[in-house]
Amino acid sequence: MLQSINYYLHLLPPWLWITIIIHFGSLGTVAYLILLERKVASWAQDRIGPNRTGLGFGIIPWLKDKKMFGLGQPLADGLKFFVKEDYRPKNVDRILFTLAPMIMITVILISIAVIPWGGIHQHTIPADGPVPYSATIVSQTPSSITYQYPFQIASLNIGVLFVLAFLSLAVYGVVVGGWASNNKYSFLGGLRAAANMISYEVPLGLSVLTIVLMYGSMDLSVITASQAHYWLGFIPAWNIFTQPLTFFMFLICIHAEANRAPFDLAEAEQELVGGYHTEYSSMRFALFFLAEYAGMITTSAVCVCLFFGGWHIPWLDKIPAIAALIPDPSHPAVTTSLPLCIARALCLIVKTIGVLFFFMWVRWSLPRFRFDQLMNLAWRALIPISLLLLLATTLAIYFVGGNDATYRATELINTPLALTLLGANLLVLVISLIASQLLPAPPPTNRKLPVEGSRFNPAPAL
Amino acid sequence: MKSTDIIHLQEPHLTLGDQFYLPQVLIGLGTTLRHMFQVLGGTDKVIQYPEERREDLPIEAGGILARTSRGVHRLNKDEDGRVKCVACFMCSTACPAKCIHIEAEESPWQDREKYPKKFDIDELRCIYCGMCEEACPVDAIELTNTHDIVGLTRQEMIFDKSKLLQIYDETVAKEPM
Repeated sequence: MLQSINYYLHLLPPWLWITIIIHFGSLGTVAYLILLERKVASWAQDRIGPNRTGLGFGIIPWLKDKKMFGLGQPLADGLKFFVKEDYRPKNVDRILFTLAPMIMITVILISIAVIPWGGIHQHTIPADGPVPYSATIVSQTPSSITYQYPFQIASLNIGVLFVLAFLSLAVYGVVVGGWASNNKYSFLGGLRAAANMISYEVPLGLSVLTIVLMYGSMDLSVITASQAHYWLGFIPAWNIFTQPLTFFMFLICIHAEANRAPFDLAEAEQELVGGYHTEYSSMRFALFFLAEYAGMITTSAVCVCLFFGGWHIPWLDKIPAIAALIPDPSHPAVTTSLPLCIARALCLIVKTIGVLFFFMWVRWSLPRFRFDQLMNLAWRALIPISLLLLLATTLAIYFVGGNDATYRATELINTPLALTLLGANLLVLVISLIASQLLPAPPPTNRKLPVEGSRFNPAPAL
Repeated sequence: MKSTDIIHLQEPHLTLGDQFYLPQVLIGLGTTLRHMFQVLGGTDKVIQYPEERREDLPIEAGGILARTSRGVHRLNKDEDGRVKCVACFMCSTACPAKCIHIEAEESPWQDREKYPKKFDIDELRCIYCGMCEEACPVDAIELTNTHDIVGLTRQEMIFDKSKLLQIYDETVAKEPM
């Protein structure tokens, strides 16, 4: 039995299995994220949310009367999207109209590729056994072969840059969709999305750069593995503890990147009907929807990898039995146990769901920004603070951490450097609080207009 | 309008915390989180409609006073089980939606001249204003509290005399005349 499972597992190389699992998994998760979103919305508003559609759909006999908290709702919604009329208005740009949702979903799904889900699995097999394609052979003796493969679709050394690049391509989906719809509301939505996403790319990039600077690597698996250590023996070496302000900047920016409340001006229902997807229906609309939620998954997973230690399960590797599964404590990503890899992937998923829940929590708590507030926040607050943080991190690393990236990667963030970085973050917070008082005030938003002599109240006769 | 009539509103002064925005954000997030925990703790404001009905709940818990609500009509019967209606056309005259159609015939009984041969109410046209019940001189037509009537066709929703009398039989125990 185990032999035959092993045989089937080796029919496809590990990276293909991982690709299949991650892509189908994330698409399935998207459907259930929508259910979670509706549930969170309901809970925040003292309601219960969808709770009628079970998984039996009134057909399967033994599940017929089970409601199961509305678990069947996403499947029913998906089916509805498939059978709806795919309506295309008369004067749209036909090619771009079809292309826009495709661009969006494609680039978003590509950007999931660099997330390191579960570290690296090291496996030793007899010398005549099959080595899966794309696995790295680390040692070979006459009787056995030891190979490694990462739990990651593509272990790129430009990981973070890859995510940033593809996420910023997603704005094309919005802009092109808005333009091709030949509808002024869609167009306005597209314009707003473009301005929004371009403004928030800058602080997003800067805050990611701050983290990249700490590790001297853009590879997400390196950044994650470097966080799988402890300060003072018990505090997980996660960046959230050293770079809290950077984390805040990043968090705000990924909300804006995902075009979600309070930055959802692109689809502001009250002003723009539906924004860029006003004219879309059926699966085309569903693709926009899927892309929005898949983008949330990607950015949340990147957030977890950068700030919450990725797959690192805190304090688990303190247990001797677990520590024995990690052959080299200086390379905590490599493990000989497949179940540990899967547990790590589950841990990353749990953390990601936490961030996703935060996304939804924010959406149902905060009102939408006005457009000038949106721009003010980006250009007057986030970008200067991110620049200051970058400067502070640079100085801290240069003077305390030593300027050798490989040295830092092996020593990891030693405690003095961690404390310096935390202090630098707090210092930047204080400086920005003081500077915000010294900045020239923006023009008042409610300007006094002369009432007499206006169109509504003609000047009295002289 | 004179300039002196204009009230100039001052924008509220923002404290440092308000300007930095995050403290207020955290307060708002706290409020919604509190509500989420309340709902998960079982204090939601939802009435699970087909199973729970507002008329069964006390007013304090979001219930309604069913006694005063106006629903589907019924044709009352007298002590001998005969239809009370005397086919005077008062209700159909009073009806603002023109949804009552009556055809009268000479009554087989001694105590009245006419009785309705046909008595049709289009429940889809009806606006449930209760004017028919106000107009009726013999308290024959009445609105019951039942508001959830459904049908698969429009024809099905035109209630005839037998259906209206049947509603009387079904509701008289709960809602006496």
